[in-house]
Amino acid sequence: MRRTAAVWAGKATGALSRLSGRGGGTTLPGDVARAIDPLVLRKLTADLTEGSVVITGTNGKTTTARLVASLLEGLGKRVIANRAGANLIFGATAAALRSAGPDGRLRAEWGVFEIDEASLPRAVDEIQPRAAVVLNLFRDQLDRYGELEKIATTIESALARLPEGATAILNADDPRVGEIGLGLARKPLWFGLEDPRVAMPTLPHAADARTCPRCGASLVFTAVYLGHDGVYRCPNGDFERPATDIAATDIVLNGFDTVQMNVGATRVNLPVGGLYNAYNALAAFATGQALGLEAEYVAERMGEFKAAFGRQERMDFRGRHLVLVLSKNPAGFNETLRTAVDLANATHFLIGLNDRKADGTDVSWIWDVDFERLRGKAQVVVPGGTRAEDLAVRLKYAGVEADKPQIDPAKALDELVAATPEGTTAHVLCTYTAMLDIRAELVRRGWAKPYWET
Amino acid sequence: MARKQKFTVGWLYPDLMNIYGDRGNILTLLKRAEWRGYQARVIELGRGTTGGMDEVDVFFFGGGQDREQALVYDDLLEHKQEPLEKSVAAGAMVLAVCGGYQLLGHYYQTAEGERFPGIGMIDVKTEAGKKRFIGDVVIDAAIEGLQPATLVGFENHSGRTFLGNAARPLGKVRLGSGNNGSDGTEGCLQGGVLGTYLHGSLLPKNPQLADYLVRRALTRRGVTALSPLDDSAELAAHDRILQRAQPRATTR
Repeated sequence: MRRTAAVWAGKATGALSRLSGRGGGTTLPGDVARAIDPLVLRKLTADLTEGSVVITGTNGKTTTARLVASLLEGLGKRVIANRAGANLIFGATAAALRSAGPDGRLRAEWGVFEIDEASLPRAVDEIQPRAAVVLNLFRDQLDRYGELEKIATTIESALARLPEGATAILNADDPRVGEIGLGLARKPLWFGLEDPRVAMPTLPHAADARTCPRCGASLVFTAVYLGHDGVYRCPNGDFERPATDIAATDIVLNGFDTVQMNVGATRVNLPVGGLYNAYNALAAFATGQALGLEAEYVAERMGEFKAAFGRQERMDFRGRHLVLVLSKNPAGFNETLRTAVDLANATHFLIGLNDRKADGTDVSWIWDVDFERLRGKAQVVVPGGTRAEDLAVRLKYAGVEADKPQIDPAKALDELVAATPEGTTAHVLCTYTAMLDIRAELVRRGWAKPYWET
Repeated sequence: MARKQKFTVGWLYPDLMNIYGDRGNILTLLKRAEWRGYQARVIELGRGTTGGMDEVDVFFFGGGQDREQALVYDDLLEHKQEPLEKSVAAGAMVLAVCGGYQLLGHYYQTAEGERFPGIGMIDVKTEAGKKRFIGDVVIDAAIEGLQPATLVGFENHSGRTFLGNAARPLGKVRLGSGNNGSDGTEGCLQGGVLGTYLHGSLLPKNPQLADYLVRRALTRRGVTALSPLDDSAELAAHDRILQRAQPRATTR
């Protein structure tokens, strides 16, 4: 049978890839299996007895998928998931392969897949999910994806093709996502924040979706939570934020440590920090509701959540504490800076900017990040990564005193260790492959576990 | 105490035409003026506003998405073209990047042959191309006395721009595609308007170009030279891209 051959070939590739130390084999096996049987993902996910959830959006995919998977696993369900952030169709396929038996069958109840925005139509067609979550749409990697508008159209076409009875779970606070949802034939499940106390007074510089899709007028915001996500309306009354079906209220932010919030009548206490994680948890909560999970159970389970690799990962090194926070685009970076500086009182930083394909080869976006927040607050900032010099210039024009740029991750880390007194916490904010580089160095020194084991 | 001299940047459509980190250009112009003792400020010129355009020394016009570019064109024609041309005639400078560059030209023609008019301030026209030019760019600038003589940046455009007789190229492409990928030119200079496809942002990594724009704009206020600044950080970032234009050393 073709699918069995595909599964075996894929599994063998994964084993070889891990043996050769080339990483966890998170994508290549999918590539190999699909070459043998292009329908392999469709066939495997059809074996799932309860169904699948797909999660997309610029920021928060990995954490939200991890939350949803943990909710289902807590009920004793077997969940297959592409956990290492391998979110193209090959990564999803590889995840399904890993869990398939020697007979080429998948024995699990659920699939939870984080899916790259551009891959969503294919993922929906092949996986036939029961729920599709769209978290947000921010500017990210224009060199690879093209304009935001194109991505929005892609997502809209994917959601329009969801199978009968499937739920679209959408962020009402994001104007672009709101526009997508209002165009759908079936009403989506809208989630959003309802707490003006955690809102910012004005739109940050890196906001994207600021005009009315109908009349072109600039949208008016009465609250801004994150990037361009907030409470918005068209001044001519042509468009407004959809009413939320599920909302977070009474939000309490505690640095990178916790987020507390009410969802309906249930208090959620999430052991990771930042307002973006309030969104991720709310999206996971909404997904749980769509799948019929009890609110009390969801809240309880979320209280035991552990962050994914490089996403608020913590470790100790020679008496110093290290917090790793993946920060890969203006909206995400602004939020991690806000959390670090305003909520966690962070003073020591290593900031890593790489320009490899997975980071985006165009680094212009650093000029949209409000590094000005660090001015007068940060005592040490080490610019690192393949484009450390660009970062140093950005910091200079933000009025932030920075160390010499350190392209070599080992040197950047040494610099940080030398500059951070014992007992102090240092924050490492990095783009995707810059984080991989730093982590590899931490693994080499025995301070962190390899990423496929986290 | 003598009052500080003013330096004013006019940012055209900061909310709509701003997708490639264009704020870097604004910050560079402002900070470098401040470091030299000027009282620097930025005037945001959104839709419907014209206030203060006559006080602007350097205008910046960035790139936007198609949807935004269409919204901007009408406003440009109705509110901005006349004061912009007046300012430039009086000695102000304009830096236009990508979409802004295209909109200041005669027209943009889509693959289907449909023409979207520009305001024709510069003698260039743009046609849609199939392949998108994406990547690092290094050019040898055709500006006398510019030191370093190279300009570096990042391009991301599918438009092919061709220069008419009144416009001259900003430079010759050493790495990347430039105006159209065929004639080896990048950008244009015409009077006080500098158009280019380079972002990255452009000015932070090319401080000598920032100073060129400022110096030319301030000539009308009697400024002949700018005091030197320490540009070692900026030039290190410049050199990083320059290295990518070097032919790879053969190891075989």
